[in-house]
Amino acid sequence: MSEFLNLLAAGLTSGAIYGIFGACLAVWFRVCNVLNLAVGDFAMLGAIGTAYLAQTDHFPFLAAIVVDLLAVGAVAWIFDRLVLHFAFDRGSGGHGIVSVFFYTFGLSLILEGGARAIFGTDVYGAPAIWSGPALAIADFHVQRAGVLVIALAIISGLALWAYLRFTVSGRAASACGESVLGSRIVGIDSALFRRRMLIVTAVLAALFGVVESPLTGFTYQSGPTISLIGVVAAGFAAFRKPGRAVAAGLVIGVAEAMLGGYVSTSYNDVLLYAVLFGIIILRPEVLGLSPETA
Amino acid sequence: MPANPAPALEIEGVSVSYGKFVAVESVTLSVGAGECVAVIGPNGHGKSSMVTAVAGLVRRGGTVRVFGETLPAGSPGAAVRAGLVLVPERRHLYPDLSTRDNIMLGSYSRTRRLLARQAWEDVSDVLDMFPELARLLEQKAGTLSGGQQQMVALARAMAAKPRILLLDEPCLGLAEAVARRVYDWLGAMTETDMTILLVEENPVHALLVADRAVRIYKGLVEQPGVAA
Repeated sequence: MSEFLNLLAAGLTSGAIYGIFGACLAVWFRVCNVLNLAVGDFAMLGAIGTAYLAQTDHFPFLAAIVVDLLAVGAVAWIFDRLVLHFAFDRGSGGHGIVSVFFYTFGLSLILEGGARAIFGTDVYGAPAIWSGPALAIADFHVQRAGVLVIALAIISGLALWAYLRFTVSGRAASACGESVLGSRIVGIDSALFRRRMLIVTAVLAALFGVVESPLTGFTYQSGPTISLIGVVAAGFAAFRKPGRAVAAGLVIGVAEAMLGGYVSTSYNDVLLYAVLFGIIILRPEVLGLSPETA
Repeated sequence: MPANPAPALEIEGVSVSYGKFVAVESVTLSVGAGECVAVIGPNGHGKSSMVTAVAGLVRRGGTVRVFGETLPAGSPGAAVRAGLVLVPERRHLYPDLSTRDNIMLGSYSRTRRLLARQAWEDVSDVLDMFPELARLLEQKAGTLSGGQQQMVALARAMAAKPRILLLDEPCLGLAEAVARRVYDWLGAMTETDMTILLVEENPVHALLVADRAVRIYKGLVEQPGVAA
């Protein structure tokens, strides 16, 4: 029983990591139909930047987090103004499949190169926000950072879900992804929604990087792996439903942990993609896809 | 409608270009308050470009005034806030959102509500004009028939509480019976104080409801006319 509970704790922790990055990807894709392949790099900047400020520049920890999150938000804003604005709002390159991933893939490479130049190749981990020994209930042990990761993922997923489902602003954000022209007709500024949502998800990813880094550590190369994990979790949520992405991430994490614990870790990736393909082919409506469009 | 109504919509020297192609050369047109003016002419001669430019959706030259207020070019939000609302060709609904959300978002520029439920309560009276939409409120707009989608597009526009309505080919692709219903509704609108600029390829349709018509040919207003 204790093995099961500890696998469950490990699975929920890694699943929360899948889920939150999937949620960040899904909510921005919903607004502007662009995959944010730099979401993992924003997390990397959050983790490494905070660790660097706190440990090398001796900033107070809270101040390091605030400064770093502001810097990440500024990077997202600058990227939108310098690249996405011209690509999408001026009609210079906002059409076609290339725009779905090309610009953010380029941003990912730039952030990775910049991080290497500034922070070097060391492994960084921000100080733990909630330090202390692992929490234990009988034979069930979970790291405090893991509890924070799971809590932040669930709270963020619920907040994004509630925003999109219940607020006028959330419905307007969804309308931007459905029809840019249709949204502009009623006075919705689709560029503003794209920019705001990019900044919010970049800062959220960075905050998650800070919370997660005591568990996993970060290098300048951590971003693409995280982004790929996020793409898979977002895929389980049809790239549009952040709440479902968090739920899907948690389920995937637990399934992976159980499979790894009771069978073999070799089958983790196989399981992940087999389930995704199976759903797309057999039950596309589960992902919000109609059989015709799946 | 008064004999010489004060101008509600003044379009002066409006031009639209797509690269080197000049779609609208220099259109000048005035629509009186409460008047319904049809813009007719063959396809591809600038009718739709003209109304989308007036609504702020494409870059333009020239001046557009709504009840004396000059609209900034390229600002659809300013146009909607001034009371000028477009029902576009091919509708441009949000297919994955419900009918209710599609209609509710028509009020986006004037609502100060936080919650979608509250915003809907403010606009739900548009169902009085389109009662057949009441049973379709939870259905995704993309699954509606063409005629139902056109009704949603009209309801979305009316949720904005427009003073001037721009309609671009409202019957394009609709069955004759559905088109007749759209024109019945438009006819009822002309009995109110609503100002309407109607783009229509089919002059027979247009002159059913319009007070007068202008013809756009090769990007220019060719000739003024008076409905029979």
